[in-house]
Amino acid sequence: MSAESSSLGYGLGLRTPYYQAILEQRPAVDWFEIISENYLVEGGKPLYYLDAIGEHYPLVMHGVSLSIGGPHELDRDYLQRLKRLAQRVQPQWISDHLCWSRGNAHQLHDLLPLPFTEESLQHVAARVRQVQEVLERPLVLENVSSYLRSADDQFSEWQFLAALSELSGCELLLDVNNVYVSARNHGFEPWDFISGLPAQRIRQLHLAGHSDYGSYLIDTHDQPVSDPVWQLYQRTLRHLGPVATLLERDDHYPPLEDLLGELEQARAHAAVALQEYQPCA
Amino acid sequence: MRLNDWQRELEAYLLGSDPTANPALRASLLGSSALSAEQGLAIYHNAYRARLLEALRGDYPAVHGWLGDAEFDALAGAYIAAHPSQHFSLRWLGAGLADFIDAYLVPAQAAPLGELARLEWAFGLAFDAAEADALSLEQMADLPAEDWPNLQVRLLPSVQWQLCRYNSLALWRANKAQDAFPGSLALEQPQVCLIWRQGLISQYRSLQPDEAEALHGMAVAGWNFAELCVQLSELGDNAPLQAATWLRQWLCDGLLQRYGG
Repeated sequence: MSAESSSLGYGLGLRTPYYQAILEQRPAVDWFEIISENYLVEGGKPLYYLDAIGEHYPLVMHGVSLSIGGPHELDRDYLQRLKRLAQRVQPQWISDHLCWSRGNAHQLHDLLPLPFTEESLQHVAARVRQVQEVLERPLVLENVSSYLRSADDQFSEWQFLAALSELSGCELLLDVNNVYVSARNHGFEPWDFISGLPAQRIRQLHLAGHSDYGSYLIDTHDQPVSDPVWQLYQRTLRHLGPVATLLERDDHYPPLEDLLGELEQARAHAAVALQEYQPCA
Repeated sequence: MRLNDWQRELEAYLLGSDPTANPALRASLLGSSALSAEQGLAIYHNAYRARLLEALRGDYPAVHGWLGDAEFDALAGAYIAAHPSQHFSLRWLGAGLADFIDAYLVPAQAAPLGELARLEWAFGLAFDAAEADALSLEQMADLPAEDWPNLQVRLLPSVQWQLCRYNSLALWRANKAQDAFPGSLALEQPQVCLIWRQGLISQYRSLQPDEAEALHGMAVAGWNFAELCVQLSELGDNAPLQAATWLRQWLCDGLLQRYGG
């Protein structure tokens, strides 16, 4: 199945401040993406709202703790809990990030970048295969915003993602804002990144805001999507065709109406862009 | 540098207090005209602390309010340095803060503050504890008379039992209401505070010592209803009535589940 034929439409990140409003208003959102870890609990409000909202909307599970590139053994307990959550949620797919978030000794609770080397590629690909065996489905991996670049890189990030997808069978979550942030910080062309990915492997797009610190950007996910990111999103859709798009907001939560308005903007930008999409024959 | 060595260097840098990276780590990185390697490292170094402090402030709003930003951050920073996170979820980062306070502060400060921290953590535990079917008044009404003497109950998973020697609950309430904090005071008599979740709503209630003893006897020590009545025998003929009154209250509160038969 191609990513195009499985496009879910336009979704929002499910966050606590919006639970009640979503149930009361049933907004015209095509799907919601959950942060998996928020629901790896025993009971109470998180699981209640998850079940209630899941009755009305398709869900996607998005994790932040897999640490697929970490130096540690994969956390089998975490994976089993993720799998049990997936049995409950029946997500359209399960994603996490191309990063490491746990070191040799401790949890670091950040989406840390990897050196893009052959060694990293083999390390991550082997672990992706292990995860996919447990979850019994392809893992979807997202590019992170980064503020460090290894001097040992043998690949660009997009070459690394393409090779990883080829080696492991994983799919890709293309965060357009993260591409823009990393491109500004590291001085590459964002379009080189996006056009260098295997289009048929891109399962989902992320849109979010960032904060501008002058010469560099920080991916804060607490602002509306910026104009350059909208432009990059449109160019991406002209290139890929329709792909499930998710608007993320992780702080400075505006009223739900404002986020719905921003999601409408995404639909409008996409509608214009997709008029110019020419599927390959 | 090998991947594992590089990750070890970066982990040590993030966990350390020095925002200056060692030469080997620095040399493994490339900066750009927009963002130098030093700036990039500092972003991750700051973010690590900020993220963990934010999680602890979120879990301990009354301790934070009581201490203020500077003192709370000093305490939380010392805690994080002594107990780096071991769980994949920040939900559990603060699990050991109360014990840490016990050892970190002088006893006169540690005792009330540690108790307040335990109380706040208990609210968190009640919030997302496992579901279980609460024994209801209706179910009890249908219980045949001959089953009453052997009735046994247990606390539901969300119920947290906190023994308070200080006015921690008043401090917690003041913080919740954004009122001025009362002074910290030792209670004349220690008091049990129960914290639990009823449906989706967090509840709390202080128990008088005799009610606390009765509930503990039945729901923790395993007395059946007949044994509870025996324990209350000094009340004479009123013992079964008192036992039934409390049981009714516990059922209305949604504290109990049936145990055994």
